[in-house]
Amino acid sequence: MEFWNPYTETLPREKLEKIEFSYFQNLLSYAKANSQLYKDKLKGINIDDIKVFEDIKKIPFTYKEELRKWQEDVDPFPYGGLLGIDIANVSSFRQTSGTTGKPVYVPESYESWQWRVESWCHILYMAGFRPRHRVFLPFGYNVYVAFWEAHYAAEKLGCEVVPGGALDTKGRVNKIIELKANAMCGTPTYLLNIAQEAASMGIDPKSLGIERALGAGEPLPEATRKRIEETYNCKMYDHIGSTETCGFAGMCEAQQGLHIVEPFFLVELLDKDTLSKEVSEGELGVIVITPLGRRSFPVIRFNTNDVAIKGPSTCECGRTSLKLMEIVGRVDDISKIRGVLFSPKTVEQLIRSEFPEIVEYELVVTREDIMDKITLRIEADPKLNKDEAGEVAKRLGERHKIKTNLSCKVVVEPQGTLPRYDLKAKRFKDMRGKH
Amino acid sequence: MDEIRNEIMNIEKSAEKLKTLAKDNNAIRKNAEIILTFLYILKFITPATD
Repeated sequence: MEFWNPYTETLPREKLEKIEFSYFQNLLSYAKANSQLYKDKLKGINIDDIKVFEDIKKIPFTYKEELRKWQEDVDPFPYGGLLGIDIANVSSFRQTSGTTGKPVYVPESYESWQWRVESWCHILYMAGFRPRHRVFLPFGYNVYVAFWEAHYAAEKLGCEVVPGGALDTKGRVNKIIELKANAMCGTPTYLLNIAQEAASMGIDPKSLGIERALGAGEPLPEATRKRIEETYNCKMYDHIGSTETCGFAGMCEAQQGLHIVEPFFLVELLDKDTLSKEVSEGELGVIVITPLGRRSFPVIRFNTNDVAIKGPSTCECGRTSLKLMEIVGRVDDISKIRGVLFSPKTVEQLIRSEFPEIVEYELVVTREDIMDKITLRIEADPKLNKDEAGEVAKRLGERHKIKTNLSCKVVVEPQGTLPRYDLKAKRFKDMRGKH
Repeated sequence: MDEIRNEIMNIEKSAEKLKTLAKDNNAIRKNAEIILTFLYILKFITPATD
């Protein structure tokens, strides 16, 4: 087996834990001295009391809501109390999608960004990406972090990167063919969408020459992973990460679970009821993460609300890092649709605040083949004629896309079609997996 | 790994010196800072275990 960093990737667990604890102590001191959030959060804690690994549990969790709070009306704009460096040293801006509330603005210094990229190099390398690969990245290059890390890491690995932004799916298929790209990264559903588009153009996806692909942004069930492999005749791998935490785990050639990139991250898998006890192998736990070397935006014991099954710390690949066998989902009810976090509340707020001419609505998510589809059924004010109602539907579709980063089909229904509710409304129907 | 760590320390000393020497030259100073950035990562990925 080949490793990106054979030294750290094969260290015995006790040595990895010792290193991570040492990095954790350094980060605590750094954050307390440089981040307004942690100056406040750690004010009652004497860092010298954090002497052994188990003492980590004395440090409180960090929640996403806190990150939002510390950016509201706190200087320096727009990062507020989350910033861990002089704002003059911020070199790039990223943000979370904001579908569960106000977006979190994430500052990266050149150092912090390169630290993220180095972590991602581990993920790509363990997925078999090598300098021989011409990597096509079919995503809209924008304020979201998705695939920027992949772009820079693939460059660092020595791959040739083809930025596939600002093209429609057909254009992307043509570009893959034109340049003979042989590797890709994308959300699993979009990778299949590309394959479907190619097929509709009379092109067998297998003939595209994609050797391997890395999925991101949404769960990759084993059946979908295998389907992508069969569709493209390629090897398909998975990874997990987020804007706040960075990409923190990836799949190796053995394709059995995701290796935590250690010692970049201290990952705790805690019993979801008590959030205090580390779960055992095979058990479900809430993922709590501390990125150990990112100073621009220190985040300590970030409670992701994601639940995963703890895997073994041995693997046929030889890596000794902790493994997550399966990402089961989120603790709360926020959905992920086509790789984007989605809250029905966002749609309700949009309709209630901007579309008084809509009298009732229903949001339905279905899975057609394996692609998630959102249908927004609306009933318009009966005073509107057909053309006016159609115009409202068009505008709603556009605003929905802007607010949620997801496209949807808006259907104008006849009056009285949709159910009315006296008490708790059930306007969101997630029908995926129900047919 | 000890030899590698020693070499990283040597480069760090040189890069710091370069940065000081080039305090009036933006281009050289910035490139020295970038070397220091990668030295931060090099130190991070070569931790001592004892």
